[in-house]
Amino acid sequence: MELLEKISEELQNGNFIDVPKLTQEALVQGISPAVILSDALVAGMDVVGEKFRRDELFMPEVLIAAKAMQAAMTVLRPKLIETGVETAGTIVIGTVQEDLHDIGKNLVGMLFEGAGYQVIDLGVGVASGRFVEAVRTHKPDIVGLSSLLTTTMPRMREVIESLVEAGLRGSVKVMVGGAPVTEKFARDIGADGYSPDAASAVEKARTLKP
Amino acid sequence: MKPTAGGQYRPLTDEGIRKIHDSAMTLLSEIGVEVHSKLAFETFQKHKAVCDPSKNLVKVSRSMVEDAIARAPKKVVLCGREEKHDLYCEGKNVHMGTGGTVLNVIDLETGVKRPTTLKDVRDIARLCDALENVHFMVLPVYPNDLPPEDVDLNRFHSSILNCSKHLMGGIYTLQGTLDIIRMAERIAGSPQALRERPFVSFITCVVSPLKMDDIYGDILYHIAKAGMPVAIPAEPLTGATAPVTIAGLLAGLHAETLSGVVLTQLVNPGTPVLYACTATSTDLRTMGYVSGSVEMGLINAGAAAMAQYLNLPNYTTAGMSDAKVVDAQNGYEKAVTDVLVALSGSNFIHDAAGLVEFASTASYKQYVIDNEIIGMAMRAVRGIEVTDDTIALDAYRRVGPGGNFLADPHTILWMRREHYLPKLSDRQLRINWEKAGSPTVEEKAVAAAKRILKEHKPLGLSGELKDSLRAQFPGIRP
Ligand code: B12
Repeated sequence: MELLEKISEELQNGNFIDVPKLTQEALVQGISPAVILSDALVAGMDVVGEKFRRDELFMPEVLIAAKAMQAAMTVLRPKLIETGVETAGTIVIGTVQEDLHDIGKNLVGMLFEGAGYQVIDLGVGVASGRFVEAVRTHKPDIVGLSSLLTTTMPRMREVIESLVEAGLRGSVKVMVGGAPVTEKFARDIGADGYSPDAASAVEKARTLKP
Repeated sequence: MKPTAGGQYRPLTDEGIRKIHDSAMTLLSEIGVEVHSKLAFETFQKHKAVCDPSKNLVKVSRSMVEDAIARAPKKVVLCGREEKHDLYCEGKNVHMGTGGTVLNVIDLETGVKRPTTLKDVRDIARLCDALENVHFMVLPVYPNDLPPEDVDLNRFHSSILNCSKHLMGGIYTLQGTLDIIRMAERIAGSPQALRERPFVSFITCVVSPLKMDDIYGDILYHIAKAGMPVAIPAEPLTGATAPVTIAGLLAGLHAETLSGVVLTQLVNPGTPVLYACTATSTDLRTMGYVSGSVEMGLINAGAAAMAQYLNLPNYTTAGMSDAKVVDAQNGYEKAVTDVLVALSGSNFIHDAAGLVEFASTASYKQYVIDNEIIGMAMRAVRGIEVTDDTIALDAYRRVGPGGNFLADPHTILWMRREHYLPKLSDRQLRINWEKAGSPTVEEKAVAAAKRILKEHKPLGLSGELKDSLRAQFPGIRP
């Protein structure tokens, strides 16, 4: 269908102004939300991902496409929920207390948006209590913790312990990342997932689905 | 040490510099800086900056910046504990040294990467004390074996014991910073003596784009109050926390570091402050931080030019590499960025020794190799001296047509001064090199580092002073 192709194409161009409008138009035309998601948006992001892997696109081009995806999802998500289509999920993400590095965290968040997730970004210097609160309110599938300092890495363990104490640990998967974080550290503190970079973070998240 | 002046390389035109400066003034007065430190915010407010407390926003006018620049010292002397190590940060004088703070080190014995400990703080300080081309030490590593509350004081204490060059360091807590100042006052003899010859100084930071953090804002406030020297770097990264273009990044950097300079001069006029840049570029494929790009050299040379325009002593970055091992990439990235920034005439070029892998890992052998690269870069900075003596018409007269200069007195007189003699580079004939076991630079560097660590005796402190410091600061480790 022409319109779906156009959406996919504009998504690949990172046209975050028109993609949500075109998505709305598709809904008005009566195309099913599930089809718009799979045949236009996800299809478009797949092309972007493939071109990125072949070095034809650079990261900023992937991120602007992700921005278009996210804009389309704000239009589409309510309809998907109405029609009972399963969406990618929700992730609460933040940089732990006393740490204000956020470039990596933002990048990870944007790529999750590109993969169709709803991303709730708590910002930087986020205390354990705020993560717990956000899990309670938003009921995310995943909590993503970022730390770039050795001095703040122990905060990740603290967040996990607080989730246990609040009785919420079973309801959510915890992913951790940041330059000094390692696979082993992630295991030691009882996290469910770790990834060394943004590109593999989404893939990892997909394997964590409950 | 007689300062060596650079400035031969200028990546910006006068017009470009003015345009970037004007744009930075627009950023500060129109967009403003988000100031999360209460102490800093109140200081700006008290001095009638346009403040919006609901957004923590401070707009700094051009005249406020100009007042601050007028008050800031045009010359900052960062002293060593021995005068021969004093650094005259002014004009286009060039000094190069180490950087940090990193968490891992390539072990000298095993060659394997492992977490750093207090022993590494000590050993690297001793190594840097002995390396003649490393002009100062920015405390390079983090002691992972200490509890966070003891890190600041012990990092400085161990470094003071092992290195008598100027010590500048990042800090983690306000208490730690104040303890370091008190400890340094004891060592200097009095608070006054430390201000006269500050042998320690600090690094805080402004977060790009245009944001002053609460903890680092508070720490900066207290350092200025104490009248200690401080560098206030911003670390904008192209395409991530700054525009992807170098001029755009420089405008933001200029605004950010100047917002810190303004704060220090409002708190305590005359505070010795360094305009500072740790900016670099990102890799377009991942948007990850990279440290050895040629753009990083351009950016930091540009930052030096911006500081020189305002006559502010400056701190920049060069000589890093993204390579994980000692290889060609390691060499060319370090050499190219070192030379660009050194020739720009920057006063305090840090990170230029000892770091590999995105400036995230220290390496003992790398300090020795970088000592060599810095030696060559500094020789380039010194340039070509032209006098009657160096043109040496008299020597030509002695030698005459067809002769040689091999054993002429002029050769003997000038050779050491004119030529940098590398210690690691191989210049032997192949046959001799093979006879010597075909040694590589890396092998020679490892051997040199081991020898220094075994033999070098630093200045240290008297036993009595050491004991009394321990009594005053029980957190100090043996
Ligand atoms: C930029 C930077 C800063 C900027 C931060 C700006 C910002 N808005 O974030 C500023 C200048 C403010 C800064 C300040 C400091 N910094 Co800093 N900083 C860096 C630097 C150079 C790059 C970090 C970065 O953005 N990388 C690019 C992004 C894309 O990569 P990333 O963050 O690693 O994220 C990727 C992965 O890790 C992963 N990931 C990240 N988070 C998550 C989360 C999840 C859930 C998942 C799955 C994956 C994931 O995916 C990301 C994308 O691929 C690093 C050096 C380095 N090589 O990492 C030092 C570094 C992290 N900083 C360091 C230090 C010491 C500091 C300071 C303490 C300095 C000081 N003394 O003043 C302060 C501390 C401030 C604080 N309280 O947090 C040290 C840490 C060492 C230590 N002892 O712990 C480092 C390693 C530098 C060094 N020389 O060693 N810093």
